[in-house]
Amino acid sequence: MGCVCMITFNNVSLIYPHSLQTVFEDLSFTIEEGEMVLVIGATGSGKSSLLRLINGLVPHHTGGILAGDITVDGISTSLTKPGGLAHLIGIVGQNPAHGFVTDTVEEELVFGMEALNFAPDVMRKRVEEILDLLSLAQLRSRSIATLSGGEQQRVAIGSALVMHPKVLVLDEPTSALDPIAAEEVLSILHRLVHDLGLTVVISEHKLERVIGFADRIIAISAEGKAEIDIPEEILKKSPIAPPIVHLARALNLDSVGTSVREVRRMTTHLRDFTPLVAQSESATGESVVEIEKISHIYGEKLALREVSLNFKSGEITAVMGRNGAGKSTLFKSIVGFHKATGGKIRILGQDPTELKGRQRLSTIGFIPQEPSDLLIHSSVSKECAASDHDNALEEGSTFAFLTRMTPTVNPEAHPRDLSEGQRLSLVLALILCSAPDVLVMDEPTRGLDYQAKSLLVDTLVSYSRNLGKCVLIATHDVELVAEVADRVVFLADGDVVADGPTLDVLLSSPAFAPQVAKVMSPAPWLTVTDALRGIAEATGKDLPS
Amino acid sequence: MKRTFHPLTWWCGAIAIAIAVSVAHNTAFNLAVVGGMCFIVYQINRNAIDQSPWSRGLWFALKIAAIIIVIRTLIGIAIGVPIPGNTLFELPIVDLPEWMAGIRIGGAITQERLTFAFAEGVQIATLICIFAAATSLTSPHRLLRQMPVFIYEFGVALVIATSVLPQLVTSATRIKSAQRMRGIQRRGWAGVALPLLEESLARSLDLAAAMDSRGYGYCRNRSRYRREKILLHDLSVVLSAIALIPFSWVVFA
Repeated sequence: MGCVCMITFNNVSLIYPHSLQTVFEDLSFTIEEGEMVLVIGATGSGKSSLLRLINGLVPHHTGGILAGDITVDGISTSLTKPGGLAHLIGIVGQNPAHGFVTDTVEEELVFGMEALNFAPDVMRKRVEEILDLLSLAQLRSRSIATLSGGEQQRVAIGSALVMHPKVLVLDEPTSALDPIAAEEVLSILHRLVHDLGLTVVISEHKLERVIGFADRIIAISAEGKAEIDIPEEILKKSPIAPPIVHLARALNLDSVGTSVREVRRMTTHLRDFTPLVAQSESATGESVVEIEKISHIYGEKLALREVSLNFKSGEITAVMGRNGAGKSTLFKSIVGFHKATGGKIRILGQDPTELKGRQRLSTIGFIPQEPSDLLIHSSVSKECAASDHDNALEEGSTFAFLTRMTPTVNPEAHPRDLSEGQRLSLVLALILCSAPDVLVMDEPTRGLDYQAKSLLVDTLVSYSRNLGKCVLIATHDVELVAEVADRVVFLADGDVVADGPTLDVLLSSPAFAPQVAKVMSPAPWLTVTDALRGIAEATGKDLPS
Repeated sequence: MKRTFHPLTWWCGAIAIAIAVSVAHNTAFNLAVVGGMCFIVYQINRNAIDQSPWSRGLWFALKIAAIIIVIRTLIGIAIGVPIPGNTLFELPIVDLPEWMAGIRIGGAITQERLTFAFAEGVQIATLICIFAAATSLTSPHRLLRQMPVFIYEFGVALVIATSVLPQLVTSATRIKSAQRMRGIQRRGWAGVALPLLEESLARSLDLAAAMDSRGYGYCRNRSRYRREKILLHDLSVVLSAIALIPFSWVVFA
């Protein structure tokens, strides 16, 4: 055949112990050397399992029965333990912080080489090489715990690359990163593929970020079947697709493009008229959260510097900014988790640190970064019953709220066994059933697929519009902001650097502009719906949908 | 210039100072030593680019030391051998059964007895602070890496086990505060235990998987990236600490 097959899956089926359903059924594909392959699928479809099959963590580490054969560079993974493939395959898990073994960057880089008994001079050479390649030289003696998310991700990639693997496997490498840090990590990967001929297998929910880099896509369907093909073919029909593809479909273009440039070229005929400049309307609600010159200091680090903001009812505000810009600190101050070092916060005239019990529940709803922190009971129905009790609601009202969002949830299931999307709906139901005046969410879309995200969007929009409540979300997800937010506050280094209607703030910075806006620029449309409506208004006719 | 010390420097120094303190057994000297240690830790860690969780060890130990001194003094007042001298006040004597002869609860509290109990408390507290200062200056993880090869594997295992501890504390605080925000206050630690257990299990599985796929334990032998050299400033720290021993011998004994 002449092809250099790096990874071969031969009739692979997988079933986990205590499970009646196979994760994969008769999977066969090959990945060539120097390819960058993207794995897509809904949450729970087995993306992580597929990635971990490559180096044998599944089933050697997790248990389960594997039928068929997987070979990587000619070595069968069913016969070799993951440790024996350490020199061949580098794997970076979903949360790199969980995989760090040592304290400092340099020690982390050498950990794998020490384990495989490399000679000290080889190690020293390779460490320098990786420090340069990933621009980590300045961080070499830093303690890992103090690095930002993007830096940690780079260290994790570095400690995999230092072994000179032929295959690099990454599970959602950018999901926790802000758009700029994500871009940085992805361009490094792209360079590695092109310069070193590395084979990269990557999974990611935020397709808009990675789609441009992928050579081929493996799409896993709910039935455990997988399809591998070039992005254009897969995206033609896949329900999981980035906004740019939805736009192409909605506009009935002949083919779908994977990059902004391509789609821009395909849509020149749609942009040759002057679009109506949309008037951004500001919310007219009463002000719910009043923040006056708050500052917060951790030790010697200033996290917030005299921030003054005002949030109104019926308004969804997205707080954006780099990792460590002060988003979480601001939110913690708003929900009264800590008293800010200076300034004052009032929620409907009350000090959030003094709110207690039911009064707190009906004033502030807070959903932390790990929503499961709030779940303490052993079944969905018990969680809902506890919430009814806490909020003095009629029995069953929380569960009714939940089923309105996700009708299929099983009341007897353990909250930990739910899918990410269902778990988020459960937490939303627990918090929203008491109808708090302010809903505060920290990074809600981490690990959510498009389906779960659209559920979140619907819930938030109806909560804010129909009930006239104030919603605040901190997020890196530009596409979510475009869909849901009325207003964007941009924080940098503890300061508010931009504050205004979503349209103005997102369009003013190319790094934070959503894909549709980039394609349709200069027309001020952020989402597919915006674009369709805008085109229809401007041309006076509806596009067939 | 950023100067790093050999991992053994501060620990050897701490041992020498601890010996000096035991030899001297003098409250003023003890307090001076603790003061000196605080100064050194502050000076060195102030300039560090980042603070590892261990570097706060001394401040934590100081709090514990204060508690120890208070407890030791209280016990010294309540229980113990009578020391004659300037009586400050009298406590009623508790009648104890005959077989507990030699122990007395209550009685006359003399100034001497109080000073003695206080000095004992300070002595224990000083020893704790000395080693806490060494921990603040050198992370125990760096120390463990200096272990000879035959216990090196054990050392690495220990390092991994102990790195989880600070994370556990962080997660527990995070979960507790999240639940407080949901208005859950009365459930206390039971509510934290379940998410915490789940998280630490998931974390250790993740860690084990990461280590496994990076070849940990796959080879029989393990190489070492860097041997740290003992430099002049390391020697001077250790030697001056050792010099404290004869000094305290001559002055206080």
